[in-house]
Amino acid sequence: MATVRAASRLLSKRVLSRAKAISTQYPVVDHEFDAVVVGAGGAGLRAAFGLSEAGFNTACVTKLFPTRSHTVAAQGGINAALGNMEEDDWRWHFYDTVKGSDWLGDQDAIHYMTEQAPAAVVELENFGMPFSRTEDGKIYQRAFGGQSLKYGKGGQAHRCCCVADRTGHSLLHTLYGRSLRYDTSYFVEYFALDLLMDDGVCKGVIALCMEDGSIHRIRAQNTIIATGGYGRTYFSCTSAHTSTGDGTAMVTRAGLPCQDLEFVQFHPTGIYGAGCLITEGCRGEGGILINSEGERFMERYAPNAKDLASRDVVSRSMTIEIREGRGVGPEKDHVHLQLHHLPPQQLASRLPGISETAMIFAGVDVTKEPIPVLPTVHYNMGGIPTNYKGQVIDHTNGKDKVVPGLYACGEAASASVHGANRLGANSLLDLVVFGRACALTITDLHKPGEKLTPLKPSAGEESVANLDKLRFANGSLRTSEIRLNMQKTMQNHAAVFRTGSVLKEGCDKMDDVYQSMENIKTFDRGIVWNTDLVESLELQNLLLNAVQTINAAEQRKESRGAHAREDFKDRVDEYDYSKPLEGQQKKTFDQHWRKHTLSYVDPKTGKVALKYRPVIDSSLNEQDCAHVPPAIRSY
Amino acid sequence: MCQAAWRPAIAGMGSSRGYRGDAPDDSRIDLIEIPLPPWPERTDEPIDIKRRRLLYESRKRGMLENCILLSIFAKQYLNTMTYSQLQQYDRLINEPSNDWDIYYWATEAYPTPEVYQGEVMDLLKEFTKNRNHEQRLDAPSLEYLEEESKKEMPSGQEMCTEFQKEMTSRLVYVRGIIMET
Repeated sequence: MATVRAASRLLSKRVLSRAKAISTQYPVVDHEFDAVVVGAGGAGLRAAFGLSEAGFNTACVTKLFPTRSHTVAAQGGINAALGNMEEDDWRWHFYDTVKGSDWLGDQDAIHYMTEQAPAAVVELENFGMPFSRTEDGKIYQRAFGGQSLKYGKGGQAHRCCCVADRTGHSLLHTLYGRSLRYDTSYFVEYFALDLLMDDGVCKGVIALCMEDGSIHRIRAQNTIIATGGYGRTYFSCTSAHTSTGDGTAMVTRAGLPCQDLEFVQFHPTGIYGAGCLITEGCRGEGGILINSEGERFMERYAPNAKDLASRDVVSRSMTIEIREGRGVGPEKDHVHLQLHHLPPQQLASRLPGISETAMIFAGVDVTKEPIPVLPTVHYNMGGIPTNYKGQVIDHTNGKDKVVPGLYACGEAASASVHGANRLGANSLLDLVVFGRACALTITDLHKPGEKLTPLKPSAGEESVANLDKLRFANGSLRTSEIRLNMQKTMQNHAAVFRTGSVLKEGCDKMDDVYQSMENIKTFDRGIVWNTDLVESLELQNLLLNAVQTINAAEQRKESRGAHAREDFKDRVDEYDYSKPLEGQQKKTFDQHWRKHTLSYVDPKTGKVALKYRPVIDSSLNEQDCAHVPPAIRSY
Repeated sequence: MCQAAWRPAIAGMGSSRGYRGDAPDDSRIDLIEIPLPPWPERTDEPIDIKRRRLLYESRKRGMLENCILLSIFAKQYLNTMTYSQLQQYDRLINEPSNDWDIYYWATEAYPTPEVYQGEVMDLLKEFTKNRNHEQRLDAPSLEYLEEESKKEMPSGQEMCTEFQKEMTSRLVYVRGIIMET
């Protein structure tokens, strides 16, 4: 790894002096690898490590230093049915996940993930991840929302394994460190621009080196996308500023579909504006949500659970209060989370991080004032459609077809294990299992050192032209203005509260915002560490994700999981599962909504085309693990 | 098996600051046994390139809290830092592998290791205290750089005014400060 870095620095130094002479030409460097991974978060690192260990010459392209990927924010843990706290069975975890997905998850992928979970955790432990332990030295497991025993009938399950409060960081540190011993080549602070596609086959990626502005075409037999989610399309999200949907946008530009993008998970309490997460633990400790009239409004929406009702119920209640005019602040666009009625001692000992975060990001002293909060985008269940092996698929003539050379894993992908709603602590599991699955599939199908098919000399030309156009853009709207327009449109029209007329209006507004990109104005003409340019490229990516999300949401006329519509409040399945099935006429594929959305965008016009694909209802092995037939989801 | 039968092995090496932190011990063995390559300090990087790189690296962090904190800090201080201050800042934001550590040191939840103590860390700690109770709602947009490149070195006061104007136009609600838009 050290040699590659040094060589590319030398080359870039020589090349840079030529670049200065040619004003808008870019030096292009070609590389050849067996596999290239885009993104160095939990999923990307696991895939890169797995491939390097198996002897493949692997490159990993990342716009951030690996341990600074958004995975580091994860403090929860990894679910696995190890059975250390009580008797446990991965089939119960399978059931919980299928139910949690509101029967939109593909049961073969969920079977794969939950069955592999214990082995994946033990494997991480062997790599050196220091999971927290019980007194007997077994891995400590704790409770997490949505996890039950005996198919929902045995009470709360304890299956979340963690490394104190830094599971995400430990995962990244361990995998990054290990992958270096196998000689993985890291291209750190390189921004991946596009996939190199040739006749429907993926042949690698083209990336911009931020350090010297050179373009790199990284050719490989296998490309894995692990770029994470796209929370930044919304005004308020818990994600870092790096969650810009780069991978999903690259796939869209390549003419391939994205799946289920309308399913966006909202966490009820993120700080208004900043979006930093305020843990559910606050409400667990007695914190209450208040509207402009000082009323504890959750008592009306959930008389029993009140402020501790499930996340989607609380989010929707908050949104209804705001829409009915009882929001707080000058724009009446959020509500208050009140903690000052709790003893200061309790706040200090049980919720130490909250007081600091509230002061730093909201200027609020929690012992005296309430925190302004809003339902905040937290996770994207949708993404690049793959099968349970991690291979990206397209759907033509009613059949799934594998795209040769392309794989995806992590939040960027939709295998789909989370379906319409994700359970807590299943995300880190998803990263590890499917990162490994991509590596295993490639190891099965290919050998290290396979000869690459030739690449057209002009491959990647369009990406460079786009880069150049953005770098010298001189329209009338600044990047930050267009971004704000997009974020406000998404927040006002495709947030928790969704209804036909509001969504339709949003689709039209989003189309205008998309068109306004023609008028973008950037100010930094440099090529070295040009943050303005990178943020503009990210904005292009965000817009592609946003138009698909809002159009898919507008079309889906039902409520399922995280997608809740006021005008279509029920799930529309092939049968009405709230009644006995006998005597019911099965609805045709066109008449019901228990299906995956596939969205395509024409990047030039911003026009979205939607198609649908059936959910996979059978597990990998019906004898071993029977599939869970759909039912009404109640907790 | 009774759920209460299990108990964490070690009481904990320092209390957890994490939100979902009811988890026991953190042995930190991975950090000891899996050492990462040492952080490469760039000694021959021109000062203006260093500033540009640190701007990118301040704005793109692992979690939202650091993204907002460091990008507003960078807007306020980055362009007036001396070379040695830039080197301190570079080490501070690039050497630690866990972004949360930088947040805990800045908020003084944990003591700052000696190697990161210094002028820049003091500035960051003071900045984090938010004595003016400003609402730090998001990373600032980059246009302040364009305006700066047209003027001579702006004063800290001017930069604060620019920042406040921007916040007002973006979000009307600023506690306790009367602004004219």
